[in-house]
Amino acid sequence: MAGDPMVPDDVTWSAVSPRLALGRRLVSGGVLLVVAGLIAALAAALGRPLLTLIALAPLLIAAMLWWLIGRQVAAISYAERDDDLLVRRGVLYRSLVVVPYGRMQFVDVAAGPLDRALGIARVQLHTASPGSDASIPGLAPEQAATLRDRLARRGEARLAGL
Amino acid sequence: MSSPERTADTPARPPQDAAWQPLHPLTPFVRGWKVLAALLVVVGQQRGGEIARSGVPSRTEALATLAVIAGVALIGGVYALLAWQRARYRVDEHALQLRTGVLFRQERQAPLDRLQAVDVVRPLLARFFGLAELSLEVAGSGDSSIKLSLLREADAQALRSTLLARAAGLHYEGDVAPEAPERVVLTVPVGRMVESLLRNGSTLFGLVLLIATVVAAVVMRTAAPLVAILPIGFTIVGVVWARFTNGFGFTVATSPDGVRLHHGLLTTRAQTVPPGRVQAVRLRQPLLWRGRDWWRVEVNVAGYGGGSRDERSVDENLLLTVGSRAEALQVVGLALPELAVAADISAAAVEAGLTGRGPAQGFVASPRSARMLDPIGWARHGVRVSETVLLLRRGVLVRELDLVPHARTQSLGLQQGPLQRRLGLASFVLHSTRGPIRPSVQHLPAAAAALLIHDQATRAMSARADGAADGRWMMGR
Repeated sequence: MAGDPMVPDDVTWSAVSPRLALGRRLVSGGVLLVVAGLIAALAAALGRPLLTLIALAPLLIAAMLWWLIGRQVAAISYAERDDDLLVRRGVLYRSLVVVPYGRMQFVDVAAGPLDRALGIARVQLHTASPGSDASIPGLAPEQAATLRDRLARRGEARLAGL
Repeated sequence: MSSPERTADTPARPPQDAAWQPLHPLTPFVRGWKVLAALLVVVGQQRGGEIARSGVPSRTEALATLAVIAGVALIGGVYALLAWQRARYRVDEHALQLRTGVLFRQERQAPLDRLQAVDVVRPLLARFFGLAELSLEVAGSGDSSIKLSLLREADAQALRSTLLARAAGLHYEGDVAPEAPERVVLTVPVGRMVESLLRNGSTLFGLVLLIATVVAAVVMRTAAPLVAILPIGFTIVGVVWARFTNGFGFTVATSPDGVRLHHGLLTTRAQTVPPGRVQAVRLRQPLLWRGRDWWRVEVNVAGYGGGSRDERSVDENLLLTVGSRAEALQVVGLALPELAVAADISAAAVEAGLTGRGPAQGFVASPRSARMLDPIGWARHGVRVSETVLLLRRGVLVRELDLVPHARTQSLGLQQGPLQRRLGLASFVLHSTRGPIRPSVQHLPAAAAALLIHDQATRAMSARADGAADGRWMMGR
């Protein structure tokens, strides 16, 4: 979309790995399947087979989330400019965060057990403000490590107190 | 600005007094007193209830209670004594160090070039003994302050001067840095303080509630309604009382060490915020202050308000409890010298930020289409760029104006919901350090917001490159 304020067009955007979507789908789908299973089991225990239909609701929600997560993950992207990092996210409620390299206090790379199994990691930038929520989930671990090193180097070159 | 014995640009003095020093010997008594009092209250409530129910206790029961109190007091006293005996502090050229802890030992170091503010706090009981707590804020996440509790008052003040002088990169003669001369700018009169507390939504609500309940009690001939509102009454009285005692005798002064604030009725607090430590300033006018044109001024200082969101931390972030518009602007000028430096912003533009609407005086304001999303406040949403400071205004009923120096901008954000997208609007957020001020402007034209976030990132970068006051503020003057 040309001229979209949330998407400055003079920069090249990098997307995150679709494996992030897979991970989020597995978690939400897993939880909702368990809920559906419990409802079905309860229906069987009560001897009311018709109640099993209620189990369709979590399955429906899971299907919706499946679709939504795909769009949400596709909406996450980041761009490294000369002096700052841009992070964009959100489909319905969209947000854009600009973090000047000179304001970065430190950079984290984190990966949970599922993330590691899927081969993704999250890069989190910290400034002196609790408000600047600039994190990039769903990067390949080596990509995350090089990004962190690059950001840290640029930050060091530009950092000056608070 | 610097008196003969306080001169900059001379090489730093070698560390001489780098010996570990103890806190004042009365510390365990003064600090332990609160615990003992709390214990007595708890025991008193329990035993009092029992006595009321079943009469005077037997001799053995009374003795047992006394033994428990004495035992707890003894254990607490020994612990406090050990804690005092373990605690040692030391100041060298670059840092303040504090060792504490009986079981879990801790050594904290506050680098002086990261110093954000120094407070001398005197709790009521400590005042009787001429003692004070010195609290040093350094930039850090969570509760990163170092508290020296307690010191002799004169020692605390001398240490404050020394810390500030070293943080500023000053050289001085003798062991102790001379106290920087202080010039009082204004004092909030008690009468105005009281009136400002009365011109307050919750106070008025409390008064109305009280009158209504008294009427109800008289009509119904029972005290039940009065008993029912007791909890609410206590809460309101507690909040108002806390504001009154905290803000009592609020004095703003300047010194070469920075802005200095004195306030408090029971616990007094003297805060020193060196130049360049103010991250953001907010001028605020509640609806009921409009008749008097009074304003409250709050600041974000890194380290302040880092603890829990209690009354104390809110209190730290006050720059002026209540003042006229001229006084408020004067105080803002002291806290943000950047504002006066900007050649491209007039007094009229600041006035437009305080009370104006629409795009006058160079403000980028919400367009008419924002009425759909904010029918009352839309015309006040606006932002004004100057050479050095960003002005963000909002609020028709409660007027607010935030000022953030470009050099203190941490990061920036744009947000856009589905309705805003349809109307071509976007909200701009500026991330400051932790504190009461979270600058933002709602519902700007999307194109203007995009331009603003782009330009502001550049301005923040170049303002920092110019080396705005940071670290040793007296060096090179």
